[in-house]
Amino acid sequence: MASVDKRDLNVPTAEASNESKKKQYREKRKDFRDGQKNVSFEENAIELPRKRFYRQRAHSNPFSDHDLAYPSRPDSMDWSQLYPQFYDQEKKAMTSHVEIADIGCGYGGLLISLAKEFSDKLILGMEIRVQVTQYVQDRIDVLRRQEEDNYQNIAVLRGNAMKFLPNFFHKGQLSKMFFCFPDPHFKQRKHKARIITSTLLSEYAYVLRVGGVIYTITDVEDLHNWMAQHLEEHPLFQRLDKEWEEQDKCVCIMTNSTEEGKKVSRNNGRKWIACFERLPNPDDCD
Amino acid sequence: MKHPFQIIKASSNGEFLVTSVKNTVYVSSLKDGRLIGTWCDELDSSYTILKQHESKLKKLEEAERENEEGDASKKTKTNDSKAVKVPKIPVPGPGAPQIYNYIRTLELSKEGDILVLTTDSDKSVVIFKIDLSAENCLIQMKRQPLPKRPCAVSLSLDKKYVTVADKFGDVYNISIDEQTASQEKDLRPILGHVSMLVDIAICEHGGKSFILSADRDEHIRVSNYPKSYVIKGWLYGHSSFISNLHISSFDSNLLISGGGDDYLCLWNWYDEKLLNKVQLRNLVEPYLTDFHLPPERFLSEDSVKEISISKILTYRHPTSDSNLLFVLCENVKAILVFKIEKDYTVNHVQTLALSTSLVDLTLIESDSVLIGSKDTDSQTEIIEFYSIKDSGNLEVLDNELSKSISSSNKIEVNSREEFYPLYYINTLRKRSEH
Ligand SMILES: C[S@@+](CC[C@H](N)C(=O)[O-])C[C@H]1O[C@@H](n2cnc3c(N)ncnc32)[C@H](O)[C@@H]1O
Ligand SMILES: C[S@@+](CC[C@H](N)C(=O)[O-])C[C@H]1O[C@@H](n2cnc3c(N)ncnc32)[C@H](O)[C@@H]1O
Repeated sequence: MASVDKRDLNVPTAEASNESKKKQYREKRKDFRDGQKNVSFEENAIELPRKRFYRQRAHSNPFSDHDLAYPSRPDSMDWSQLYPQFYDQEKKAMTSHVEIADIGCGYGGLLISLAKEFSDKLILGMEIRVQVTQYVQDRIDVLRRQEEDNYQNIAVLRGNAMKFLPNFFHKGQLSKMFFCFPDPHFKQRKHKARIITSTLLSEYAYVLRVGGVIYTITDVEDLHNWMAQHLEEHPLFQRLDKEWEEQDKCVCIMTNSTEEGKKVSRNNGRKWIACFERLPNPDDCD
Repeated sequence: MKHPFQIIKASSNGEFLVTSVKNTVYVSSLKDGRLIGTWCDELDSSYTILKQHESKLKKLEEAERENEEGDASKKTKTNDSKAVKVPKIPVPGPGAPQIYNYIRTLELSKEGDILVLTTDSDKSVVIFKIDLSAENCLIQMKRQPLPKRPCAVSLSLDKKYVTVADKFGDVYNISIDEQTASQEKDLRPILGHVSMLVDIAICEHGGKSFILSADRDEHIRVSNYPKSYVIKGWLYGHSSFISNLHISSFDSNLLISGGGDDYLCLWNWYDEKLLNKVQLRNLVEPYLTDFHLPPERFLSEDSVKEISISKILTYRHPTSDSNLLFVLCENVKAILVFKIEKDYTVNHVQTLALSTSLVDLTLIESDSVLIGSKDTDSQTEIIEFYSIKDSGNLEVLDNELSKSISSSNKIEVNSREEFYPLYYINTLRKRSEH
């Protein structure tokens, strides 16, 4: 029985505060998390030897306090542990590389929905909370057991996407990045903690290939405006229009498949979507 | 006794030496040792306290307003006294931690006509024109406050901008010619790391400018400049924090970086290629003391003494044509000298043992001379000159200028305990609590 310890489910940067907006939001989240505890698996499916092939890092820095493991560079990342079926034993090399990333993937609903839609592409969820990551990993393991030919292309990694994306991905490696219902960080002073800022967008642009897409969705209108504005102002991104959104299958999937998204639907909440295409670098840049 | 000079920087033409102690800058002539310029940050630490107090009040007001809003939209169960306590302006008691207020960085243009420094008091970048014909050669052009404390500066190659990196990982471009400072809220970072920035450098390749930025994690980022939203790549090779980015004086593609690792990295930063790693442990080991052990809280049976690189300098010796590398490690009584060969192999030339540790080291290019700032109780000589021989070896140089330049430092202290932190780089090391 995989259960998630409630104590570990705090939003990492949450701070005691009596700000009303934030309190309401948190209560909403709490219901949601308690709900998550009821998800269960078959008893025998949980026996997961995990080999972490990258090094353990000490914490202590102004923006996060987590003991994180991350590779020293993209080439030293051992992806075969995460996607064993995409590893060629003879050639000692991966046959495919991660192309789609779900940043702050939470409980993994999006990964699972994307798995069959893009069965030939590797999809990675990145999540900063240990227990949540563990949960997603267990979930994927069970699915892989149930349907041996499926779900081999999705995996989850514990990591801080705001600090270490370039340790995992090469320049232009990704074709899609998802930011679904990110933590809102309401306070002005906490805005730098948001996962979309003008300076972080340059890093996302670096790992995203030209023509690649950043997907954002949120139930917090302020946050939507913030993300859309920062993306619009960034010279390497261009908004995709409503028409495009309507025909894109990922927009539909991300609207309905993440745990947050489902919860918002149950409460008849509104969802705001904004998608952006990665533009080519200016000619005078390397 | 005199407080040691915390930063020293010689102009490359050998005309003058800029030094800093606490919140004061001195400019001394290297021709006759005369004091030719001085500047003191008149904003003291009470300014910092006052600012903090103001922002506390503002936050309280905000909180109060939000509380009211909250009450309107949601019924709060308790109704305890909402009399907001207005905090008093704190007066630091005798046991209070000292607020240091000093100049963290000094940068001199290659031509010696512009000086840039950063202050703690109002977290500013201060830009000066240097006019040697003026009575006080430091002519303040601009003082630009920033939202967070600045920790590294660099000048753009056309000398139109100063780029400043702050403690929270953001980098700003400050115009030198535009004399009025921008409002803090109008400043937009040109790039950012989600980590403390420790050094930046603007460099050039094929007629284009780039900016290198290094953080407290192991990252060195290469971005286009000024279009720094286009990241060119990363240099992967360090496993501890970085404290120094040095573009060699003889090859603008050669970057030498170091910090908390036992080694230096030599890079072709443009090709993003690691050329060599220079191991320092064996050379430095004999000079390490208990000072270099981790803080007590983190000390264990198998703790090793830690090396932190505080200065990297390069010099092409004009008579022997050899490319030299000088390295200073924090609180180590020695200067390491290396020769960099054409194929980027690095050979150790000399370890010059000294009687005191050096706080900082600077090069007078035109004279083949180094100057060190000594961590000493001496009242008369707090700097020392070293001549660079053809072979690359250093020799202590008797120079009567050292007395006159030392005497321009007017900051007296009663004991070493009153020194400002001279060795801070090792505090950048990331540690986990166990
Ligand atoms: C509100 S949840 C949304 C989860 C999921 N995307 C969904 O829609 O159900 C935001 C998630 O982002 C994660 N997160 C926040 N900052 C992160 C970071 N810097 N790197 C990786 N994950 C992060 C949080 O732990 C949290 O699980
Ligand atoms: C080797 S010098 C560093 C010089 C300067 N940072 C540079 O790049 O040339 C060391 C002295 O600089 C001062 N210093 C510079 N930056 C500092 C910082 N970020 N924190 C504390 N002290 C600093 C300290 O007083 C220290 O004694």
